[in-house]
Amino acid sequence: MKRDSGELALSYLERIRSLELRSRTKVMNVCGGHERTITQAGLRNVLPDGVELIPGPGCPVCICPEEDIYHAIQIARQPRVILAAFGDMLRVPVNAPKREPRSLEQAKAAGADVRPIASPLEAKRLATESPDRDVVFFAAGFETTMAPVAAMLAEGVPANLWLLLSGRLTWPAVAMLLESGRPGFDALIAPGHVATVMGPEEWEFVSRDHALPTAIAGFEPASLLAATYAVLRQLVDGECRLVNCYPQAVRNGGNARARQILTRCFDIVAADWRGIGTIPASGFALNDHFAAHDARARESWMTDPAARKRAGEMPPGCDCARVVLGRIYPNECQLYGRACTPRHPIGPCMVSDEGACRVWWAGGIRESVTTERPAAKAV
Amino acid sequence: MTDTHIALAHGNGGRLMRELIDEVFARCLDSPSLDTRVDAAPVPGPADDCELCVSTDGFTVQPLEYPGGDIGSLAVHGTVNDLAVSGATPTVLTVNAFVEEGLEIALLERLVHSMGQAARSAGVAIVAGDTKVLRRGEGGGVYFATTGLGVRARASDLGPHRIEAGDVLLISGPVGDHGAAVMLAREQFGLRGDVRSDAASVLGLTQALLDLDGLRFMRDPTRGGLATVVHEITATSRHGARLRETDIPVREPVSSVCEMLGYDPYYLACEGRVLAVLSPADADVALERWHAIPGGEQARKIGVTTTESPRVILETAIGGERYLEELEDDPLPRIC
Repeated sequence: MKRDSGELALSYLERIRSLELRSRTKVMNVCGGHERTITQAGLRNVLPDGVELIPGPGCPVCICPEEDIYHAIQIARQPRVILAAFGDMLRVPVNAPKREPRSLEQAKAAGADVRPIASPLEAKRLATESPDRDVVFFAAGFETTMAPVAAMLAEGVPANLWLLLSGRLTWPAVAMLLESGRPGFDALIAPGHVATVMGPEEWEFVSRDHALPTAIAGFEPASLLAATYAVLRQLVDGECRLVNCYPQAVRNGGNARARQILTRCFDIVAADWRGIGTIPASGFALNDHFAAHDARARESWMTDPAARKRAGEMPPGCDCARVVLGRIYPNECQLYGRACTPRHPIGPCMVSDEGACRVWWAGGIRESVTTERPAAKAV
Repeated sequence: MTDTHIALAHGNGGRLMRELIDEVFARCLDSPSLDTRVDAAPVPGPADDCELCVSTDGFTVQPLEYPGGDIGSLAVHGTVNDLAVSGATPTVLTVNAFVEEGLEIALLERLVHSMGQAARSAGVAIVAGDTKVLRRGEGGGVYFATTGLGVRARASDLGPHRIEAGDVLLISGPVGDHGAAVMLAREQFGLRGDVRSDAASVLGLTQALLDLDGLRFMRDPTRGGLATVVHEITATSRHGARLRETDIPVREPVSSVCEMLGYDPYYLACEGRVLAVLSPADADVALERWHAIPGGEQARKIGVTTTESPRVILETAIGGERYLEELEDDPLPRIC
């Protein structure tokens, strides 16, 4: 951490400690990057005991439906196909028969041409360099990932580039939690990168319609502590509004050009979230203009609905769904650190660098706690 | 080993790599004089008061050239530095080149030229070599392997076995530069940053400390970075280690790149830094000496060894704590 922001962080910490909170307070974040900063900086150790920081649905790999991963595996096994995917997706296991590959990594080991990539432009380059192959880009991600995917499409792509799109909007998952009647948190820290692209306005509904203080945070400990202070202060003062604690990057209206390109390429549709179910108007789908690049529409690549359904079943004992919803902490899952480790992950939350279980494991939290909260002290 | 096939992660410097080395190479070679934990192995020397050290290393970095260095100079610095942190003065090197069919000769010339320059400035002679050409598609342009011979005083006894609780950890300069520079040089991120590899010979830095009785151990934090070396220190010495985040130098552009890409600079490779462990009595002298020589200007004390359990605890800037663990898998491209 930079020196000056270290001092700033300490000053927010002092301000948080001086607040007189009336009851135990749960603050949810919905961004894997936030959870990583919280864990790596050890924020949970230094906050007052009554303040809980809860990781929520903030990892695109974790909420990507297993059906889509199964679909990607099946396409990768087709002749002449190169399947490109963000590296994190390769290791996520799905429920497939033992003789079949259960992850893209296993499909790759069994001979499928699966390429881990780090940017949409690499998928485009693969397609350009291999005109005699079908390059399928399995694009899973939130708004921040979908914007560059849309930019790539808008610039024009070769005919042999196909997209298996599994993009999601962040705010509808939070809306679903709030409308469920038991959101499980008292205040929200909204994602800085998403707000940079889509604008802070998307998050106003949380305070306006659900009376929960909300603050947008960046990715430095100082910014997260500023946001934590902003929401706790509101709870003490009985106020409720959206505060932008990441003004360096987040501007009203967001990135107008990125939003325009998203609208030009994608429709917003009801979408499945792993372990959560269908959330209305929460997914990106290629619009008619790009139908010729839609891997889902290609008949010879369609998968058997029964097999897809089976692939979508959560592994026995896996509590990723409740981790993603912030109902339990990662180490409250009975598999955490026992059957499920980064080396042998059972659920997606232990795979991705954005996954809460993986973040906690990398932060050195080894003890599985299956009793009651709080369970989050790292050291 | 529980794994049935080699994965890229077996080369990351972390736990998987250690298992591969211990459970395949050490076990199958079954050589009593092979110690897999040291950077350079002693062999009987030409005189009574000194011994020879041998070290060998392979280089597969992609891309072949990056800001601040290239695979040619890296192949020299890597082996020279392994000898240097073992307390030896490198004298000769051999080079094996595995060149892929189709590599542009002008590029190969640049790389080998850079290799020669690095060897001359480190005062080491390249005395033998071998060249193989691989079929197209079988290599990443060019791979190098270098083996180096060095001389050290027989009295020299450096190693984690000498580390005591309360010893001081010093780093010779900012960490993560090489790893970040190589990542940025891979076009895939579409980023350009003001980040250069720190690749250099550390011979001057190591020799400056060799006469200090309190010098316990030195290591160049390459693959797996600072965190991996300190982890190794705790695992071998059975002492705990506490590092202070605010004392670990990380250049501003490196920390920005890490923030953007979600990497942890403490796990990114350095190719021109030394981590040294010294008794408290000699730590200040060592720091002064480093400050006075090129490449050591930004040296810092970054932590201490403790009587706690053998894990690495990072005290964060806001007074929190977290463990630095062994790398699990390999999110990073090849960097050495």
